[in-house]
Amino acid sequence: MRSLYVRSFGSKLIWGLVSSFVIVVCVGLTAQTEDTRMEVQTKNWEGRGIENGAVLFANNCATCHGQQGQGLQGVAPALNSRYFFTRRLGDVGQDGVMTLSNYVYLTVAAGRPSKDNSQWANRMVPWSSQFGGPLRGDQVVDVVAYVMNFEETALQQTASEDPFQPFLDVSKPPEFQNIGISADAEWTPVQLAVTSVLPMGDRDPDYLFGAMACSGCHKLDEPQAPSSMGESGPNFGTIHELGTYRPEAAADPAAYLKESIMSPDAFRVEGYDDAMPDDFASRMTEEEIDRLVQWLLDPDRVTHTRDAGGNIIDE
Amino acid sequence: MSVQSPAPQKKPWFIALLSSLDGIFIYLTAGISAREFRAMLRGDAPGRPNTRLTPHADAFLLHIKPSYYHESVTRFTHTYRLGLLSTYLFLFETITGIILMIWYAPTPERAYVDMIRLLNNVPFGQLMRDLHRIGAELMVGIVTLHMVRTYLTGSYKPPREFTWLTGVLLLVITLFLSFSGYLLPWDQLAFWAVTIGTSMAEAVPPAFVGEIINLLARGAPDIAANGLLRFYLLHVLFLPLLLILFFFVHYYKVVLYGISLPAQEEEVGEDTANRVPANRRVYYLPEVLLDEGTFLLAVTAIITAVTVFLFQAPLEHIANPQQTPFHTVAPWYFYWLQGLLKIADKMWAGVIIPGVLLVMLMAIPYLDRNPSRRGADRRVATISGIVAGVLMIILSWMGTPAYAVQGAPALEVVEKLMPEEKVGISRKIGYKHIPLGTYDTREPITTDDAEFAKLLDKFVHLLEDWEGKAPDFNDPWGLLTVTQDQANLKHLRWEITWISDAGTEEYFKQDYWLHKGSYYWEQYGRKKFGVPEFLEMQNGG
Repeated sequence: MRSLYVRSFGSKLIWGLVSSFVIVVCVGLTAQTEDTRMEVQTKNWEGRGIENGAVLFANNCATCHGQQGQGLQGVAPALNSRYFFTRRLGDVGQDGVMTLSNYVYLTVAAGRPSKDNSQWANRMVPWSSQFGGPLRGDQVVDVVAYVMNFEETALQQTASEDPFQPFLDVSKPPEFQNIGISADAEWTPVQLAVTSVLPMGDRDPDYLFGAMACSGCHKLDEPQAPSSMGESGPNFGTIHELGTYRPEAAADPAAYLKESIMSPDAFRVEGYDDAMPDDFASRMTEEEIDRLVQWLLDPDRVTHTRDAGGNIIDE
Repeated sequence: MSVQSPAPQKKPWFIALLSSLDGIFIYLTAGISAREFRAMLRGDAPGRPNTRLTPHADAFLLHIKPSYYHESVTRFTHTYRLGLLSTYLFLFETITGIILMIWYAPTPERAYVDMIRLLNNVPFGQLMRDLHRIGAELMVGIVTLHMVRTYLTGSYKPPREFTWLTGVLLLVITLFLSFSGYLLPWDQLAFWAVTIGTSMAEAVPPAFVGEIINLLARGAPDIAANGLLRFYLLHVLFLPLLLILFFFVHYYKVVLYGISLPAQEEEVGEDTANRVPANRRVYYLPEVLLDEGTFLLAVTAIITAVTVFLFQAPLEHIANPQQTPFHTVAPWYFYWLQGLLKIADKMWAGVIIPGVLLVMLMAIPYLDRNPSRRGADRRVATISGIVAGVLMIILSWMGTPAYAVQGAPALEVVEKLMPEEKVGISRKIGYKHIPLGTYDTREPITTDDAEFAKLLDKFVHLLEDWEGKAPDFNDPWGLLTVTQDQANLKHLRWEITWISDAGTEEYFKQDYWLHKGSYYWEQYGRKKFGVPEFLEMQNGG
């Protein structure tokens, strides 16, 4: 039998030397490129963190803050916004105190307890498990990385492209929050009443659906089916067939919807709590509610793109 | 009155220096003078008295080693040095493991973050982790091969029955060592492999005993902080100490009885390993030591080169108890158990069969009464060994997702193209090869990017394949929509629509995101030094 055993001392020594040389070369090559490798790995794991954040954002945040971070009228502020990345921290008096990413981190982790008469329909709840929320610490970090990654596109926005809605929780009046105006512009603090540009009574139903924050809980593009139930309120994707799947509405869907808007507690669908505000009758005229109901029941309804004041901009 | 002491003999200063240097040399080599050392290297025969044996008496590490071997057993093809290699790998794992421990804290909050920190910020951190991982996989393989070699040469026969038994225990400890280390990175791969593994313990009858064992291993009904700490302590303390204990028992027996000679060199039923004729002795110093040293150096060189150029220890998403990965698999050396679990119930496959196998394995020397170690005399043993090996391989194959595990076809298709974990074709071709747009599998492929065209082609073919395989998956068509969600972040939406058996239209959607910076070594086939292409791409290519 052919034996692999090497007898000669000389060849053993050569084997040993060659092996040592290979080890030294491998370790040496690694040493030479460690800086680059660590740089690459750092970017790699930052990138993967943002990828994870994107999934979490789509599942948990996009309903209110928008899939593109554009915010939702009356529901949640825009994050993909130049104002947000350039002015927000200063307007809340935190410039030089904390970084924007820490501000976002705190908001995501601990939520934002809403004041009375908040301009936002829904409170930002605590998301970190540390404060009783559903996300682990690492997930909060990833979501923050994703939100902060809006910066590059947000900074390229012009004043009219910025989807931000003026914040009412800062002392600076809305007209001075616009990024078109210099941050140092002189202004006298005045107490401003909340006014919408469109007068009450004239407002279009698709505008009201956003402004009244219906869209925060009722998704227009997803059907209400056993496999796809809206989380905080029934989905409205199939609401034009309301009579076919909701026996209580079969006789007169429009009347049913109108009653649901004006007095939500009259009938509540099983599985949902009493989150729906009961003051819509005082915030919309009856004609507006009627038009909203008609619009909802119309399978070919149109939703316009509007600016913060409610003016149509897509035509 | 004073007594005049004799004047010390004057030596020339250089002679004095040389002799004191020689003293140091003898001290360091535990008894070998520089002159004798040169003679050893020249290959001269030892003098009388034989000072080359002194280190075996004086030095602790050498007293464990026999001072000479039978020439026949020093042949590489007799033992393949597998026992030595197993021991060496344990040392190798200990060293790389201790280095890794510096940057690791066994808590769910820190473990995974520490892994990333090790990769991002620690010079040689990735090399150490990759070396430790490859060493662990190799150790399982080498210990198993060592057992196979011992079985095939019949070396477990008297007087080495107990040596074999401790060897089987060492194999089991090695498996558990490797398995307990599996959890420590705290990623999805680790978490679910160990969840599967520990759930087998639950099947131990009677039920309450299984529950208690499971609870003891996991530290809670599910693996969490306690479980991680327990596996960590098993991995770095308990199992290594146990392994050291059994190693010394095992090795003591190996030296006591000597390494069994090739069967044809002695009479059947005889054991002459310890009666080595003077002309067939190969001394440990220097011959075998040099031989073992160069062999281990060569192995280390191969491991290092493979690790540096080709191997990367996997690290998946952070462990998420709420999300079971699409295909959960045990470590490869437990595939056979997973295969058994697919065809038998948990108690049989998880406890009774492995238990009986283990007892039978340990009892082989006591069951096999055939005194001959010669191949021609033990055809039954050899063939049954080979059959057992083949069975093991088949069961292992059955343990992989390739056998009898099938998800929904639409999910399987997307999982091939862009899996939840691991790389998949999409991430392999990477960010720059996935252009924005909407791509419909019913339309001809129109793209300038050859890599991307291959991906779309694969999409079409996977849909066709599954249409043929799954009766509930008719006329499927897919849509891939790539949008730029943020700077450097593409959004890939995979949509598949098909007609079910009942004739209704079904729909499946999966969203993934791909960042320009997220980098998979596999993207470029192998690890590359400095990865210049990557940096170019990062800096705007």
